[in-house]
Amino acid sequence: MEQSRLAITARYIVAIFIVVIFLFPIFWFGLTSLKPISAVFNKDGVVWFDFVPTFENYRVTLLGQSAIDVNLNTRSDFGTSGGNSYDGRGSILSSIIVAVGSTLLSVTMGLFAAYGLSRMSFRGSQGVLNWILSQRFLPPIAIIVPLVFIFHDLGIRDTHMGLIIAHTLINIPIAVLLLKSFIDDIPIDIDHAAMIDGATRWQVFWKVVLPMSKGGLAATAVLCFIFSWTEFLLSLFLTNSIRTIPVKITTFVTSTGSEWGYISALGTSAIVPSFIFILLVQNHLVRGLTMGAVKD
Amino acid sequence: MSVYNEAAPRQMGARLRLPRWLTSEHPVPWLFPSVALLLVFGLYPILYSLWLTFIKRNPATRKEKFDPAWNWTKLFEDERVWDALQVTLTYTFVAIILQLVLGMLIALLLDTDRKGFGLLRALLMLPLVVPPAVTGMMFLLMYDGSFGVISHALYDLGILSKDAPLLATASTALLAVIIVDVWQWTPFMVLIMLAGLRALPKDPFEAAAIDGASNVQCFFRLTLPMMSKIIALAVLIRGIDLFRIFDYVKVMTDSGPGTATETLTAYAGTIYFKSANFPYASTIAIFTLLVVLIAANVFIKVFKVRF
Repeated sequence: MEQSRLAITARYIVAIFIVVIFLFPIFWFGLTSLKPISAVFNKDGVVWFDFVPTFENYRVTLLGQSAIDVNLNTRSDFGTSGGNSYDGRGSILSSIIVAVGSTLLSVTMGLFAAYGLSRMSFRGSQGVLNWILSQRFLPPIAIIVPLVFIFHDLGIRDTHMGLIIAHTLINIPIAVLLLKSFIDDIPIDIDHAAMIDGATRWQVFWKVVLPMSKGGLAATAVLCFIFSWTEFLLSLFLTNSIRTIPVKITTFVTSTGSEWGYISALGTSAIVPSFIFILLVQNHLVRGLTMGAVKD
Repeated sequence: MSVYNEAAPRQMGARLRLPRWLTSEHPVPWLFPSVALLLVFGLYPILYSLWLTFIKRNPATRKEKFDPAWNWTKLFEDERVWDALQVTLTYTFVAIILQLVLGMLIALLLDTDRKGFGLLRALLMLPLVVPPAVTGMMFLLMYDGSFGVISHALYDLGILSKDAPLLATASTALLAVIIVDVWQWTPFMVLIMLAGLRALPKDPFEAAAIDGASNVQCFFRLTLPMMSKIIALAVLIRGIDLFRIFDYVKVMTDSGPGTATETLTAYAGTIYFKSANFPYASTIAIFTLLVVLIAANVFIKVFKVRF
C-alpha cells in the first residue's frame, strides 16, 4: 500500500510529538538540576531557559560539598552545619554495591536453575517453574514484615548484604525464566552430541551451553541490574542508615520544603546509568519484561 | 534423554563416588541455590505473615496472643480497607485501560521501517528505566502548585484553579498519580504490542486489501483477534504490578489528601510505620495477596494465558 507524502509527513510529526511528550519530564528534571535556586522557586511563573546554568546542585550531591560553601543563598542554610545531608555519594555507592552484588548472585544462581529446568525433564518440573514464576508477582508488602524480623535476627538488617539478598529474591524469578528462554533457544542436539562424546552434564554446561548463551546472560544481567537499581519498597523497609538512591532522594523532601535542585541533580545522575544500560539491551527488552514469554 | 545419560556417569564414577542426586546428572544441584533462596526468603516469610494474621496485638501494651479471628474481623469491619480496595481497583482499571489503548495506538504509529522510527522507538523506552521513586519526584516537581510546569499549563488553559492544587485535591489526586503510572508504563505496552505486530503473518492482510477492506476493518477483524493472546499476557503482567502499586503513592501523596489515594499496599505500609501493629499490617498484605491471587487465576482461566 503506497502512502501519500502527506500521510507520511503526518506520521512523522505525530510520532515525534509523542516521543517528545514522553521525554519531556526527563528533560525538565535535567534542566531543573542546572537551575540556580532563584530559577526553580520562582513565584512569578515557570522559568524555562532564562537562567544562568550552574553546577552547584551537582557539587553538593555528587561531590559532597557543603551547601553553605557552594551557595550562601540556599533556602535551608541552617541546620546543615553538622554535615551535608544532601551528599548523595554514600547512596550512589550503596546502590552500586547492592545492584552489582544482587546481579551477580541472581544471574549465577538463575543460570544453574535455568539449565536444569531447560535441559532436564523430571517429575514436577512444570510445577517448580510455575512456582518460581508466581514469585515474580508476589506483592513485596506481603513478605516485608517477616523479612524485617528475619533480617534482624540474622543481623543483616540495614546492611548491604541484606539488601543484596532481598533484591536477589525479586530478581531470581526473572533471571531463571529469562535465562531458561535463552537456553531453550540453543538446540538440545548440541548437548546430546557432546554427551555422546562422553561429556558430563557439567562439562556440557560449562563448555557448550554457557558460551552459547553469553548474549542472553548479558541481557539478563543488565535487566537485573536495572531492577535492583530502581527498587524502592524493600530498600525503604530494610534499611535505615544504608540508603540506595531512590530512598535517599525521598529524604530530600522535608517539612520545610523540597530541595528541588538537589533532588533533580541526584535523580538525573541516577537515571543516566539506567539509560546507558537499557540501550545496550533494547533488543532483548520485551523478552526481559515478559520473562521470556514474548520473544523478540 | 535417558539414552545419553548413561554413558557419562560411569566414566566419572570411577573417581568420584557421590550419590547420584549430588552429581550434575541430577536436577537437584542445579535447582538447589535458587529454590533454597526462594523457600527461605520468599515462602517462609509468606507463611510467617499468614501466622501473624492470627496474632492479636495490643498496640499500647505490646502484648501478643493467639486469636485467629481478631485481625480478620477487624479487616472486614475496617472501612479504610474497603476504601483502599476501591482506590486500588480504580487505579488498576483506569491505568490499564489508558496504557492499553495508548500503547496500541503508539505501537501502530511506530510500527514501520521508515528511517528514524528505530530511534523514536528506542527513545520511547527511556521512561521504563527511571526509578519509580525518581519518577514520582519528577512529577511532584511538575505538579507543584506555585512553580510546577504542568500546573501552570493547566492554569493557562483554565482547566485548573490555583486554589485547588492537583495533588492536594481529593478529586484530582488519584488521576494525577495514575498519569504518572501511564507515563512510565505505556512504553511497556508499546514494546509488547510492537513485538506482537511484528510477528503477525502478512498473507491475511494482503488478502483483505485485495477484497477492499479498510484499515479500520483490518485492525478490528484481523490485528486485534490475532494479537489477543499477547494482549492478555500484557494485561496480566501489568495488572498485577498495578494492583500492588506502592512507590508513586508513597512518594507523591503519602496516601493523601486524607486517604484519597490510599491503596491497599500503602495502607499496610502506613500501619507498619505509624502504629507498628505488625500483625494487622500483615493481615492487610495477605488480603492484598489473596485478591491478586484470585483475580490473576480467574484471568488466566478466562483468557487462557500461557507463559
